[in-house]
Amino acid sequence: MEDYKFLFKIVLVGNAGVGKTCLVRRFTQGLFPPGQGATIGVDFMIKKVEVEGEKIKLQIWDTAGQERFRSSTQSYYRSAHALILVYDISCQPTFDCLPDWLREIQEYANSKVLKILVGNKTDRDDREIPTQIGEEFAKQHDMYFLETSAKEAENVERLFYEIAAELIGQARSKDGSSSAAAAAAQRQSEGSSIGLGSFSAKAAQSNCCGGLASGGSNSSQGG
Amino acid sequence: MSVLEQLGTLDIGTNEEVDETLQRIADEEAKVNERLESLLAKQCQIEAKMSGIGRSLSLLHTVDSDSNKLNDQIVNTAQLAESVSAKVRRLDLARCRASECQQRVHDLIDLHLCSQGVVKAIGEEDYEKSATHIARFLAMDQQLLRRTADDVQGSLTSVSDAVKTLEDATEKTRVLNAKRFDEAVKADDLASVERFFKIFPLVGCHRTGIEKFSLYICQKLANKAQKELRNAQDIAKAESRLQLAYADRLTAILENFARVVEVNQPIIEAFYGQASSSLIDMVSILQHECDTEVKNLLMEFNKNRQIQYRSKQVNESTQRSAGGGNLGSNSIQALGHYRKPSGGSVDKLNPKEIDAIIAEITVMHARVHVETCVPEKEQLDIMERYEKIMKNSDLRRQMQEILSTYLLLERYFMEESVLKAIGLDTYESGQQCSSMVDDVFFILRKSIRRALTTQSINGTCAVINNVAACLDGDFVSALKAPLKSGYPSGYIDLAQAYNAIQTTLQQGKLHSSDADRGRANFLVQLNNADISTEYIETLCQTMEQEIGGTFPQTTPVERQMLDSCLTELKAVRDALKATVDFGMQQLRSSVIKPRLNPWINQFLNYSHNLNEEELAAYEAGETFVQFFIVQLDGLLNSFKNSLSPRNYDALVSILATEVTIQLERAIKKISFNRLGGLVLDQEVRALGSYLTGATSWSVRDKMTRISQIATLLNLDKITELSEYWNPENNKEMSTWHLTPNEVRTFLTLRNDFRIEDIKRLQL
Repeated sequence: MEDYKFLFKIVLVGNAGVGKTCLVRRFTQGLFPPGQGATIGVDFMIKKVEVEGEKIKLQIWDTAGQERFRSSTQSYYRSAHALILVYDISCQPTFDCLPDWLREIQEYANSKVLKILVGNKTDRDDREIPTQIGEEFAKQHDMYFLETSAKEAENVERLFYEIAAELIGQARSKDGSSSAAAAAAQRQSEGSSIGLGSFSAKAAQSNCCGGLASGGSNSSQGG
Repeated sequence: MSVLEQLGTLDIGTNEEVDETLQRIADEEAKVNERLESLLAKQCQIEAKMSGIGRSLSLLHTVDSDSNKLNDQIVNTAQLAESVSAKVRRLDLARCRASECQQRVHDLIDLHLCSQGVVKAIGEEDYEKSATHIARFLAMDQQLLRRTADDVQGSLTSVSDAVKTLEDATEKTRVLNAKRFDEAVKADDLASVERFFKIFPLVGCHRTGIEKFSLYICQKLANKAQKELRNAQDIAKAESRLQLAYADRLTAILENFARVVEVNQPIIEAFYGQASSSLIDMVSILQHECDTEVKNLLMEFNKNRQIQYRSKQVNESTQRSAGGGNLGSNSIQALGHYRKPSGGSVDKLNPKEIDAIIAEITVMHARVHVETCVPEKEQLDIMERYEKIMKNSDLRRQMQEILSTYLLLERYFMEESVLKAIGLDTYESGQQCSSMVDDVFFILRKSIRRALTTQSINGTCAVINNVAACLDGDFVSALKAPLKSGYPSGYIDLAQAYNAIQTTLQQGKLHSSDADRGRANFLVQLNNADISTEYIETLCQTMEQEIGGTFPQTTPVERQMLDSCLTELKAVRDALKATVDFGMQQLRSSVIKPRLNPWINQFLNYSHNLNEEELAAYEAGETFVQFFIVQLDGLLNSFKNSLSPRNYDALVSILATEVTIQLERAIKKISFNRLGGLVLDQEVRALGSYLTGATSWSVRDKMTRISQIATLLNLDKITELSEYWNPENNKEMSTWHLTPNEVRTFLTLRNDFRIEDIKRLQL
């Protein structure tokens, strides 16, 4: 048995070209490889992190944004602990598609899955979607919000670490003894997915959401 | 310090002092003599050495003169060598020039010959010959030729003439060759086409040749494909492979392309050079044509098989069921409505997957082929180009699209079939589970197998995910629904209930009360869930083997992806186990507990304060434990045949737990004397051996506590306890499951033990 206590599955979705692969690469390898080809089907990365003194394995599934891969990427939603929905702040159409993505998530993902809205490419100066608009959309749909730049490595670590921290919180409150939670997390059984639900999500969500949202506005002020 | 100086400093006033001084001087003298002697002793050594040195000196003189001589010689030799090598160098240079000159002369002769030959060859339409001449001409250094022409100007004007002739001829041949090639293409004369194709590289038109030839091949292939398109339908009909017609055609197209590459590869390598990128150029042009061809085919396929219409239907139906909210009965009822499109698409799924496989295999095949023929070391850039062509090709994209369609339809097929299997669930008497378990797993297995044949890891992962989702969703909820409503605990006896179920099953129709039906259904679903956990394990195991067989060369990342998806599937087993546990708890609360209560209460009616006579009388009559075991046996028997072995074991285990808990409670309510304790001990032993015998599982563990209580109450004297309490005194006894306080409490139940003695116990 490997020496990690929790295993979380994170799935990235969003239109083609919004920078999902770059976000993942930046986080897992510290790289920003420009001129990447489109992802084929689904890509898969593992990163071990330590949050709150716990060793955690993050299994990150990077999906292809193109329509023709949809039926294969959808199948990964169900088992996800967290879904990161990415759009490009300099590209209005990627934002306009968000409701479609949410519909898809609603249909295939666990209803209590942790959802995070991410506006990527804050390094670009041709912004089309103001931070506020993204923030409001996230609030409306009960999601966390964060703006990132994979190129400048801005908020990328934070995005994943906050997700990890939030998921740990959920796993712990679901199951008093953390060792049992680990076992459950490892098996990713229905127990864990149900567990996410039994957790009184509202309070913690609003709490963490506030943190993330304020982070988003901070970063926008900085920019 | 000399002696005189010493004398000067010395005081010689008195006799004693003079004597003393004299003594000292004498000592000094003796010392000096000694030193002198030792020095003299070395004299002959030194002399010997001196003479040795003198001798060597003369030798050294000779050495010096010799080395000087040697030096002179070396210098001489070096000078000699220098002059010789200079000559050699000059000679070499001269030779080089001579050979260059010779080459030029050769060139000139060839030039002359060529210019004459070319004209003649062109005149005679001997293209090979003229092309060979031209090739020879092109192989010459053009600049050098021109310079030669300049050098010899005046004396040999024919050189520049020849060059001009040849240049003209080259141009002419190029044009002519292209023309002839086109003509040959038009005439569909394969031999001529190949003939002229081979001439292109000779006249330095590699690129044109490849392009023209590729276009010709493309044209040929297009024609062939069209012909095949016409034939395919008939052949397919004749061989009753109508549903595979498109797959067959796709295979044919891809095989044709692969064959063309294979056949022409040696020709191209021979005539266009191994290291050139000609082959890649050709492949890229062909790939383009191949893309178009496949695209046409797929368009037709989509049109004929109404893929879009079907996908739309599938999408609509999923949306409808999602909008409908509660799955269960709704969608099962709706099945009849959906059946038509899905029934059609079941058959239709086959060609697509086979398309995908064949496409993949053929593409792989072609790739492997090209890879082996291109030398790997220097040709990395070419390989990369090739990879890029393959990666960006329309073919690849179309395969992805078709895979997507496949996944959509496969999911639909799977979900609908599973719902159908659940809807048509039946059970036969004598069977412990109903038809749907076998049906559902048959469907899932089929889906996964089919996914594997696509040769696509992404596709396989997606299907495994879908299988997990399907099991976790529809299947588990179908199993759980009857369990949730609980085991109907009617007033009739369980044995009766069981008989009722049996008769209904035998008659094959359900006309008994709802409660009976509910009971039977409950047990069947409980067994279904149990068997399903086994099936999932088997499914995962065979999957792992099959994946290993299908994808022998996976990258670690791909391996991890597959493993992760399989883990997901295995996790469903936990959901099923939870379902079984849930059902077992239902049984415990609605069957075991209420049944046990009155039986255990009987225990209170039997006195455990017995004298010898009463004991004899008690043992002669029906004892409590006999009565109890008969009851338990009746209870268990009513379930034994209707529960799967594992579920039955679990039931016995639950029963054992419940029995010990309730019995312990009952024991606490009465008091015992020595003989009463003996009776209790016998009773507990009998009970233990009955329960242990009732199951393959060991329930001994669950009996430990109650047996220890019986042991306590069966003590002869209170002091005997120490023998049992310390484990080293008694190896047979397992560790105590009772705390010291509990031990004291139970000991107080013996009315012949004194409280003070119990208190005094050292525990």
